[in-house]
Amino acid sequence: MNPAGGAGRFSFEAIGTGWHIDTPAELPTEVRAVVLNLIDEYDAVYSRFRPDSRIAVLAGGGSVDLPASGEALGGLYRTLHRLTGGAMSPLVGRSLEQLGYDAGYSFVPLGTAVPAAGWDDTFEWIRTTIRSEQPVTLDVGAAGKGQLVDLVSAALLEAGYPEHTVDAGGDMAHRGSSPLRIALEHPYTPESAIGVVTLDNRALCASGSNRRRWADGLHHVLDATTGQCVDTVVATWVLAADAMVADALATALFLVPPEVLLAEFDFDYVRVQSDGRAQFSTSLAGALF
Amino acid sequence: MTHTVKMPYQRWALTGIAALSLLGSAGCAASPTPAPGNGGAAGGDAADTAVPGGGSGDYANGTYSATGSYQTPGGEESIGVTVTLESGAVADVQTEPMPSNGTTELYQGKFSSGIKEQIVGTPLDELSVDKVSGSSLTSGGFSNAIEQIKSEAAQ
Repeated sequence: MNPAGGAGRFSFEAIGTGWHIDTPAELPTEVRAVVLNLIDEYDAVYSRFRPDSRIAVLAGGGSVDLPASGEALGGLYRTLHRLTGGAMSPLVGRSLEQLGYDAGYSFVPLGTAVPAAGWDDTFEWIRTTIRSEQPVTLDVGAAGKGQLVDLVSAALLEAGYPEHTVDAGGDMAHRGSSPLRIALEHPYTPESAIGVVTLDNRALCASGSNRRRWADGLHHVLDATTGQCVDTVVATWVLAADAMVADALATALFLVPPEVLLAEFDFDYVRVQSDGRAQFSTSLAGALF
Repeated sequence: MTHTVKMPYQRWALTGIAALSLLGSAGCAASPTPAPGNGGAAGGDAADTAVPGGGSGDYANGTYSATGSYQTPGGEESIGVTVTLESGAVADVQTEPMPSNGTTELYQGKFSSGIKEQIVGTPLDELSVDKVSGSSLTSGGFSNAIEQIKSEAAQ
C-alpha cells in the first residue's frame, strides 16, 4: 500500500478504533491536542460504554442537553427512523444490551431479543435536547463515528489544514486535490478486497455484520422493531458528501433497499447480501472485481 | 416528489426487477452442476436465484444486451440492460440509462443500479490502493474484548 496523504500522518487510538489523519505537512502539537480533545468531548457526551457519559442519565429517564452537533445527529436519526419504518433507531441500545453487547462487553445474552422502545410521545429529540419519560439506552453508533470524523475534518480546516484525510478505522473523509483509491474489504476474507473505489472530496463509510460477532451468530446490526440481528445483508459501503450521512446510510442499507434512501439522500453505495450478490449504484460500475 | 416525476422510476423499477429475476432463473436452470463443495470464501446459498423445476435451455457464455422502453408522461423512454453469462450463470448485469428528457435523466440516473451475482475477492497485496475500508477495521474495542474472552475461555 502506498502511504498517500503526504508527509504528515497522525495515528492514534480513540473510541475503540485506530485513527489516521493525513495532512501534507505534519500537524503541530497544538492541533493534535485540539483533535484529541474534540474526540474526547464527543465520547464523553455520547458513549454507551461509559457510565459517566452525558446520555447515560437517560437510563433512568429524564432529559439531556447536547452540544451543537446533537441537532444534526437527531435530525438524521429522525429521518432514517421514518424511512426505515422504525427499524433504525437511536433507542436500539436496549436491544443490543439484551443480546449481550453491553457497556461491560459481557457478550452474554440476557434472553430473547427485545424490540427497542418506540420513538413515540414518551421520547423526543428536539434540536439539542433529548427527553425521555421512560428509561432508555441511547446508541448513536450508526452515525456518531461518522459525525466525529466530520467534526475532526472541520477542525482541521479551521486550523489551516484544508487538505486532509481523516480515517477512523475505515470510515473516512477526504478533502484535497489528490483523490484516494480505497479497497473495499471482502466481508468474509479480510485480507482481500471485492473492489476499489475512488474517494475524492467525499466521505466513505462501511458497515458489516461479519466481523463484530459473538455467541450464536449474534452481531451488532439490529432491526430496532424486533431487536433481532439483520442477516440478509452482510456488508455495505456508502459514499456521500459527509461522513455522518455516509455512516448512517451504511447501516440503513441493512434495513431497507437503496431506493428508499435515494428518495431523500444523494449517495453512492455497494450492498453485499448474505448470498454473495452485490448491488451497487451505476456510478460505481467497474468498481467491483 | 410529485406524481409526474415519480412515475418513470416506478415503471423502471418494475421492468428492472422482472428482467433480473427472469435472467437469474434462466442462469440457474442452465447450470448443470452447481459446483458441489465450492467452498469459496464467499460461500452461502444463492437462494433467491435458485428456481426449482426443469428449465432446460442452454445459454452460451457471452455478453447480451437489450433495450427496454416504457411510457412516461414526458413520452417514451428507454433503458439498456447488458448481461454477462459465464458457465451458464449470470456473472454481471449492467443497466444503462438512456433518458431523453431532463426529468427522466434525473431519476434514471439516481435509481438505476447494477447487480453482481457473486462478489469476487482479490488479495489486497495485489492491489495498489491507499486505504482499506471494511468492517474488520471498525471496532478495535470490540475485537479486543472478544479476544480477551477467547483467551479467558481457553484457560
